[in-house]
Amino acid sequence: MAKIIFYGGKGGVGKTTCSTANSINYANKGLKTLLISTDPAHSISDVLEMKIGKKITKIRENLDGLEIDPEYEAELYINRIRENMRTILSNVIVDEINSQLDAAIVSPGTYESALFDKIAEIIIEKFDVYDIIIFDTAPTGHTLRMLTLPDLLEGWMGSLIKRRKSIVNMNKMVKRKYNEKDPVLEILEKRQERFGMIKKIFNDGDNLTIRFVINAEQLPIEETKKAVKMLEKFNIPVETLVINRILPEEIDKEFWLKKKKQEQKYMKDIEKEFSGKTLIKIPLLDSDMNKNTIDRLAEYFII
Amino acid sequence: MDRLKQFFLNFGLFFKGATDYKGRAYELLDAETKNDMDNFILICFSDQLGIPLPISYYTLELLPFLIDEIEDWDKRMDKRKSVWEERWAKYNLDP
Repeated sequence: MAKIIFYGGKGGVGKTTCSTANSINYANKGLKTLLISTDPAHSISDVLEMKIGKKITKIRENLDGLEIDPEYEAELYINRIRENMRTILSNVIVDEINSQLDAAIVSPGTYESALFDKIAEIIIEKFDVYDIIIFDTAPTGHTLRMLTLPDLLEGWMGSLIKRRKSIVNMNKMVKRKYNEKDPVLEILEKRQERFGMIKKIFNDGDNLTIRFVINAEQLPIEETKKAVKMLEKFNIPVETLVINRILPEEIDKEFWLKKKKQEQKYMKDIEKEFSGKTLIKIPLLDSDMNKNTIDRLAEYFII
Repeated sequence: MDRLKQFFLNFGLFFKGATDYKGRAYELLDAETKNDMDNFILICFSDQLGIPLPISYYTLELLPFLIDEIEDWDKRMDKRKSVWEERWAKYNLDP
């Protein structure tokens, strides 16, 4: 059984409720489960009506939660660099670098990297602590990028390491410093090792699985089709789809009958398009999802 | 025969290197090293020049360790007058 589960899908289809319900189901079975939200608009705490922070928090028996705050993680990282710097550099230079670091905090790629870094950290450190780790992700594009990132980053690190090695060797030849191990090379190699670990975990089909949540409507189906195709290109299998908010059978009003008929057509499409995959069908429930009603939803996750 | 040829070639190279005629070997190697170091700095912090870099977050932590090299880079970039001059410097045109 896959240990790491990513919940993906178009915005608004119900990723958060489904991932939460699924994790409750696992926890009820006695599996130690960690539920992590990577969506900047965190809503696990809204569903469960409790405060889940940027640190791992206990939700109930066998279930812990975490809402990653990229801003906080980036700040931690940058402060760590500042700390390192003070021990090795003079004050004048420290001031100069500090202004560069301040600029980096607000640069566009920083939050994505900080988020990815935290995900990597959790996967590496908590892999043996939990039986199941479930990620509630931001809408499709985000997730896909996140999953293909280790490949990209490892490649970049590899090329930097190659260059740095050649510089270190040449510097040795012209006898300019570098008698001991080059700290830059050490940092780069440590990073590459981490990316390699994540890549290995991601690429092993037994560790990672993606579950897409869809509604029986055209747009979510189309988007998910594309996403599944792309993931298969990267050898990341999608075995399970959750079809959320299926209309009940017994309806009488004409508006809903029409809607139901349309839904049945899309259900057929789904079954044809995603044949061979496990489909979890979840009906539209008559109440909002909150800490009391979420257990009703959890019962449907028989996987 | 090939091995003999290779031997003489290495023999010649050894003396060329050992005597280092006009110190060119060191000079060339030094210039090449500096060039590589400059390129490395440029790649690590290219996003500051507006070139997107997917790993800019991770090169940030190299900053404290690269600061000397960045200063050298700064100086070299400042002194730089002509790219052609740099290129020609590779070839020893003086008799």
